[in-house]
Amino acid sequence: MATERPLVLPGETIDPSLIPSHPKNPLRLGPGLRHIPPTDIVPTVAGQLITNPAKNSMWIEYNSNRYIPSPNDVLLAQILRSTTDFYLCTISPHTAPATLPHLAFESATKKTRPVLLPGQLVYARVTLANKHMDPELECVSATTGKAEGLGPITGPGCVFDVSLGFARRLLMARSREDGGVGVLEMLGGEEGGGLAFETAVGRNGKVWVGSESARTVVLVGRALQETDRGGLGVEGQRRLVKRLVREMR
Amino acid sequence: MTATTAPEAALGVLPRSDGSAKYSHAGYTVTASVNGPIEAQRRDEHAYEAHVDVIVRPAAGVGGTRERHLEALLQASLSQLILVKNFPRSLIQIVLQVEDSPENDYVNTKLVQASLNFAIMPALMQTAVLALLSAGVPMRATATATAVAVVHQDGAKRTIVEPSPREIETAESVHALAFTSHGGLLLAESEGDFTVKEWDDLYETAKGICCRSAPAKEGMAMVLDDEESAGTDMRQFLRSTMESKVAADLHWK
Repeated sequence: MATERPLVLPGETIDPSLIPSHPKNPLRLGPGLRHIPPTDIVPTVAGQLITNPAKNSMWIEYNSNRYIPSPNDVLLAQILRSTTDFYLCTISPHTAPATLPHLAFESATKKTRPVLLPGQLVYARVTLANKHMDPELECVSATTGKAEGLGPITGPGCVFDVSLGFARRLLMARSREDGGVGVLEMLGGEEGGGLAFETAVGRNGKVWVGSESARTVVLVGRALQETDRGGLGVEGQRRLVKRLVREMR
Repeated sequence: MTATTAPEAALGVLPRSDGSAKYSHAGYTVTASVNGPIEAQRRDEHAYEAHVDVIVRPAAGVGGTRERHLEALLQASLSQLILVKNFPRSLIQIVLQVEDSPENDYVNTKLVQASLNFAIMPALMQTAVLALLSAGVPMRATATATAVAVVHQDGAKRTIVEPSPREIETAESVHALAFTSHGGLLLAESEGDFTVKEWDDLYETAKGICCRSAPAKEGMAMVLDDEESAGTDMRQFLRSTMESKVAADLHWK
């Protein structure tokens, strides 16, 4: 196991035998790696080197707190203010605001665009992330013209901060099997007594929890944060959920 | 306060910052926080690269000329390590708080302009690198640092690694050296009288501590037999610290 996922530090040389080679597909480099032409592939962060020979890709798995935008990430942004053509949104504290065009919503035209007030939340996708420009967001799929779950977030709820690695695990298609997070399923299932709530997880380490009951919002948010900070496994999460539900009653 | 104690480090000690580290070695304890890349102030903004802001805070009192000097040296070294070109117009802020030092800072708070202390340099450097790694700031390489003093003892010159304040007082020269993980010299600051020959010798000593080649898996025993020089293996220390941090972060894998 350890040999398959070696620890790498910035600037270390990667053993050439670990780099996947596919006769036809180009090699895809994920986060934490940089290519120094012509042949060097060097890690830039400390983490585990993961390779996927089937997809001919490799990346570094690590956890951090500061979100750096990259295209096609879905994230939770807060409207800062509106200009003539776009909204300015905050995606992480103390960074340059991202732009969200007024027309980047489902079936939005000049006359029927959604009016968003400062402080409102939007669930959006990053379309442009370039180091020399401010990131650009959209709330509509450019290919289908449908919202596909993106858009302004309405209803009572609250945002909770988690680490980027935990947000990534929550966003996995099979988060319980692949990511080892079952806390949301448990809270909505029999362990949590079938709490009614909804969530929106942003890749920028923000989770919105919505529910009619303020108690439920706080309980779900606390469960997520404690799972993240305590590094709980699935069994630990089950115990946590039982304890929180018992305390709430 | 012995110089022979093994280094200790804890990562992620400050939950609100992007990355943080607490490091203690040779009587010094330093806590660092790293935030970034964040939006730079207009006057610090650079069109093509990130501004690295280093702030050194002493154990007692406010920083003076000595701290500004240390900041300038660290800033120049750390900008070489961080991939500053990846984050134009932004700021990477590194705050280093000295918590404990072997000399009594509470008595000698008035810092004279000429008074330098290179013995603290390795601790500051090491803490900054650990905090940067904890924050996941993209870097070109990692770095390790050490301090060396040359003392005149019984008619012969002797080099002392990680000297104590008493040894620094009597030393003829004090040197702080840092090396990148590629083995390149990153920082070399010297104070006092010394010859080129002496510097060459202590350079080799410092390089032995900072850049000991990682033992290869198959020939581990052999390499350990070869290396029996004094001092801790800083590179191995950095690696084992990061290993435990990454293992804790990726326990779900």
